[in-house]
Amino acid sequence: MPDLRVGETVGLLEISRAWLVDPVAEREGPGEIVVRDGILEAVTWLSGQAVHGVNPGGILVMPGFLDLHVHLREPGNEDAETVASGLAAAAHGGFTTVCAMPNTTPVADEPGVLAQVAAAAAASGSPVELLAHGAVTVGRAGERLAALGELADAGVVGFSDDGSPIKSAVILRNALLYAGMLGLPIVEHAEDPTLTAGAEASEGLVATILGLKGWPAAAEVSAVERAIAILDSVRADAPGARLHLTHLSVAGALDAVRRAKAAGLPVTCDVTPHHLGFTDEWVAGARRWAWEALDGAGMARDPWADGALVTHPYATACRVNPPLRGAADAAACLASLIDGTADAVVTDHAPHTAVDKETEFGLAVNGISGVETAFGVLLAAVLAGKLPLARAVAALTVGPASVLGARPGRRGATRGLLVGAPADLVVIDAGVGWQVTRDALASRGKNTPLLGRELPGRILFTVALGRLAYRDADA
Amino acid sequence: MDGRQIMTADEVRRAIIRISHELVEKQAGTEGLLLVGIQRRGVPLAHRIASAIEENEGVTPPVGALDITFYRDDLSLIAQQPVVKGTQLPVDLNGRTVVLVDDVLYTGRTIRAAMDALVDFGRPRAIRLAVLVDRGHRELPIRADHVGKNVPTSSDEVVKVALVEVDGEDAVRIERVTTPVPTA
Amino acid sequence: MSAPGTAITPDVGWRQKHLLDVDVLSLAEIELVMRTTDAMKEVLARPISKVPALRGTNVTILFYEASTRTRVSFEVAAKNLSADVVNIAASSSSVTKGESLVDTIRTVEALGADMIVMRHGTSGAPYLAAEVFSGSILNGGDGWHAHPSQALLDLYTMRAHLGEVRGKKVVILGDVLHSRVARSNVWSLTAAGADLWICGPTTILRGFDAWARRWTGGGAPGHAGFTVTSDVHAALQDADVVMALRLQRERMDAGLLPSLREYAARFGLTRERLAFAKPTALVMHPGPMNEGVEIAADVAILDRSVITEQVTNGVAVRMALLYLLAGGHPEAVTNA
Repeated sequence: MPDLRVGETVGLLEISRAWLVDPVAEREGPGEIVVRDGILEAVTWLSGQAVHGVNPGGILVMPGFLDLHVHLREPGNEDAETVASGLAAAAHGGFTTVCAMPNTTPVADEPGVLAQVAAAAAASGSPVELLAHGAVTVGRAGERLAALGELADAGVVGFSDDGSPIKSAVILRNALLYAGMLGLPIVEHAEDPTLTAGAEASEGLVATILGLKGWPAAAEVSAVERAIAILDSVRADAPGARLHLTHLSVAGALDAVRRAKAAGLPVTCDVTPHHLGFTDEWVAGARRWAWEALDGAGMARDPWADGALVTHPYATACRVNPPLRGAADAAACLASLIDGTADAVVTDHAPHTAVDKETEFGLAVNGISGVETAFGVLLAAVLAGKLPLARAVAALTVGPASVLGARPGRRGATRGLLVGAPADLVVIDAGVGWQVTRDALASRGKNTPLLGRELPGRILFTVALGRLAYRDADA
Repeated sequence: MDGRQIMTADEVRRAIIRISHELVEKQAGTEGLLLVGIQRRGVPLAHRIASAIEENEGVTPPVGALDITFYRDDLSLIAQQPVVKGTQLPVDLNGRTVVLVDDVLYTGRTIRAAMDALVDFGRPRAIRLAVLVDRGHRELPIRADHVGKNVPTSSDEVVKVALVEVDGEDAVRIERVTTPVPTA
Repeated sequence: MSAPGTAITPDVGWRQKHLLDVDVLSLAEIELVMRTTDAMKEVLARPISKVPALRGTNVTILFYEASTRTRVSFEVAAKNLSADVVNIAASSSSVTKGESLVDTIRTVEALGADMIVMRHGTSGAPYLAAEVFSGSILNGGDGWHAHPSQALLDLYTMRAHLGEVRGKKVVILGDVLHSRVARSNVWSLTAAGADLWICGPTTILRGFDAWARRWTGGGAPGHAGFTVTSDVHAALQDADVVMALRLQRERMDAGLLPSLREYAARFGLTRERLAFAKPTALVMHPGPMNEGVEIAADVAILDRSVITEQVTNGVAVRMALLYLLAGGHPEAVTNA
C-alpha cells in the first residue's frame, strides 16, 4: 500500500482473511473488506473452506471507535495536550470520533471557545471527528446555566460540568429540563464532594494500609441516586430529558442505573477501561488485571500476601477520579458491559504534564492518559475470557453512538461495516502486542500506570470517514 | 574443614599456658591486668588465658569483650554491615594494663581499631597484645607482645582458628582461597 | 511477611537500601535490628558514647513537619555514629517558596547527602524520594502511613520487659486512623506474633477491620491475633502492653468525634481503665502526650510506664538503623 499516508483519502486497502466484527449487523466471523477511494466498497463474509485458520486471534476488522469522554486540554493547558496531539493519540487508539469535555481554560460555556477548538481540529488535518460537550453552568461553577441553546446551535452533543459534579440539585433539575427541550443529554460526573473532600484512594484495605484518605463508594452511589430521582421528577415536563452518567466505578452505582433502566427511565451510563481493568491494588504496587485479583469465590485477593506487588506504591499515574476501586467493583463494571447496564466504554482520557504528576500522591492531580490503551485493556479481558469480543466492540461503537442519538444534519459514521458508506474502521492484529512506552504514546500525557507494560493487540490502521488517521509503522 | 592443620588441640593448649606465664612475668604479677578479648574468638581465648593465670597464681584477672565493628576502617568498602556482637568491659580501664587478645594477627587493622575503641573508654596505663597465631603481612606498624605460633603465609591463604567454645574443637588450619579475603 | 518481589535468598543479613516501612522487613532483619540496638545501647552507656562507624557519611535530616523529639533523636543518633549531619527544617528553606519535593531531594543529593532521614505530611512521599535519590532514605514518618523507627523502638522496649512479644496481648488505644505509629506497629507486632488489639471509637477505627480480617487463625489469648473493637474494657482485659496514641488534634476531620472531653471520658487511659490490664502491664506512648485526653497524667508517671525509656531506646534504635542502612546492599530490595 504505497500511497497510504495519514490524512489522505485511502486509495485502496484490502484486508483478506480477517475476523470481521459488525455490531450494527450484530455479526462477526471470517471475512474480507475492500476500501477504495475512501468508500467501503466490499464486505465479504467467508464460508466453507475459506474460514479455516481465520479466528479472532489474528487480524480483526471492526468499525472505528467513538469516545464520549476525552479531555483535550486546549485551550489553556497545551503543555499537557493539544487538539492535534489528542486527535493523533485518539487515532492511535482506534478512535475515529471523540467528544471533548469542556473543562478547558477558558471553559467551553459559550460558542466562541468551541469555535476555537474546532479551528484547532481543522488546522491539525486529522481525519478524526471532533465533537464537543458544552458546559452545563457558566465557568463550571455550578451557579448559573451556561448558554445551553447557543451551544446546542453550535453543535454540541451534550452538556457536562465534568471534572466536577453539578453540585446543586436545583441546577441539575433545571439543566435536565432545558437540555431535554433541546434534545441533548446531561452528562453527569456523579460525586458528592462533601464525602470526597481530601480523598485520595478508594476506601478499603489498600487505602487503610497505605495511610491514604478513603474515597467512599457512597459518594458516587448517593450522587447517582440523586440524579436519577431528579430525572424521574422532570420526565413529565420534559419528555426529551436524558441523563448520562459517566465513568461509573462502583457496583452500587451500576445497580442504581440497572433499576432505573428497568423502570423505563431515560438514563444511560459508561465505564472506563481503567475501572474495569485495574484495581486499587495498583496504588499499592500491583499490576495484575482486575479479574486476576479475584479468587474463585469472587473475593478480592490480598496483594501483600500474594506477592502481587511488583512496583513501588503511591505511583501517581494511578491517581484518578473516580479512584481505582476494589476487584469486586471492577468486576461489576465488566458485568455491566455484558448485561447492557453500561451502554459504552469511554476513556476519560486525562493527559497531564510530568510536573503535575511527579509529586507526592496526596498532591498529585487526578487523571489517566487512556485513549491509546483502551482497546488493549478490553482485549486483555476478551483474551482472558471475561468479555465477549462482540460486547467489547459494541461498547466502543454502537453503544456510545446510541447515547448520542441521531441528530439531524450531523454526518457521522454508522459504526457498522456498511457497504457503500465512507470507510470508518480499525484494523487490529490481535496476535501481537505492543510495549507502552513514552515514545510509543502519541499523547503528550504519559501518565498511565501501564507504562513499561505490554498490551495485547496492535492497531494497524485507523480509517476515519475514508481518510487514513493512523498507520502502524510496520503495517 | 579442608586445608592443612598447623596446630593441634594440645598445641593450642600449651600455647595458651605459655602465653599466660609470659603475661604474668612481664607484668611482674597479676596486679592491674585486664584481659580484653576481641570479638569473636579472642573472647574465649581471653577467658582461657585468665583461667590459666588463675591456676598458677590463684588470682583471676578480669576479662572483657570488645567488638571493634564500629571502628573498622573498611565499613564503606565491604558488601554488608557486619553483625555487631557486643562489648562488655567489667571494670574501668583507667590506669590498667589492658591485654588485647585475638586469634589471628594479620594486617594489624583490627588491633588499630581495637586501640581506637579502648581509648574511647578511658586511658589505660599500657596496652599489650597477645595472639594465638601471627601470620605476618602487617600493613600497619603493629606488633604482638605474646604469640602462640608464628606461621608464615601467603595472601591467597586463610588461617582458620577453631575453638571448642565456638566451633566444637580446638585446631588451627591453613586453607587456600581463590580471592584474597579481607581480614584483620 | 517477606519483602514483595524478592528473590529466594537465605534470610540473613540486612538487604534494604531504604527503610520506608517495616512491612518489607523479614523476621531475620527485625532480629538484626534488635541485636544491633543492644550494641548501640552499650555504646550509649560508655563515657564517650560515640563511635566512628559513619565517619565521612553525610546524613541529611529533612523534616517537612514540626517535630522536636524525633528530629533531635535522629540528629543525636547520627552524631553518635560520627556522621556529618545537615538539618533542614522545611519552614526555613526554599520549600515554603514552592520548591517541589523532587527538586529538594535532587538539591540535597547535589549537596552531598549520602542518607536522608525525612518526615513528610503526605503518605507515600518517601517512596517518591527513593525514586529520585541515589542514596538511602530513612522514613521518619510520612502522613498517616508509616513510622518504622518508632515501631522498632516500641518493639525493642516491649521485648526488653517482656522477653518475647509472641502471644502477648498488646493494645493500641487511640486515634489509629490518622496514626502512622499505629500502622507500622500493626506490621511489626503481627509479624512478631503478638495478640494485637486496636481500640477506639468506631469513627476512628474505620478501615482497620478489613486489615484485621487478613489475619487468619487468631484471637485466642496467648496466641497471635488481630482484633479491632470499640469495647475498651474487652480490649484492655489482661493486656500485657497498653499503647496510648495521641488524639491527633491537628489531623482530625471536623466531625469524627463530638469532643476531646467525650473521648477522654469513654476511652482515656485512666487508672481505673488500666486496672483491667495485668498489674505488670507496660504503659507506652509515642509522644507527645495530651495528658488528660488519651492518657491520664497519673498513669503516664507510673513505674510501669516506659514512656521515657521509649525515648532513650529511640536513639539506640535509630543508631542501629543508620548503621545498617549505611552498609552496602548487595541484593538491595527494590520493587520493580
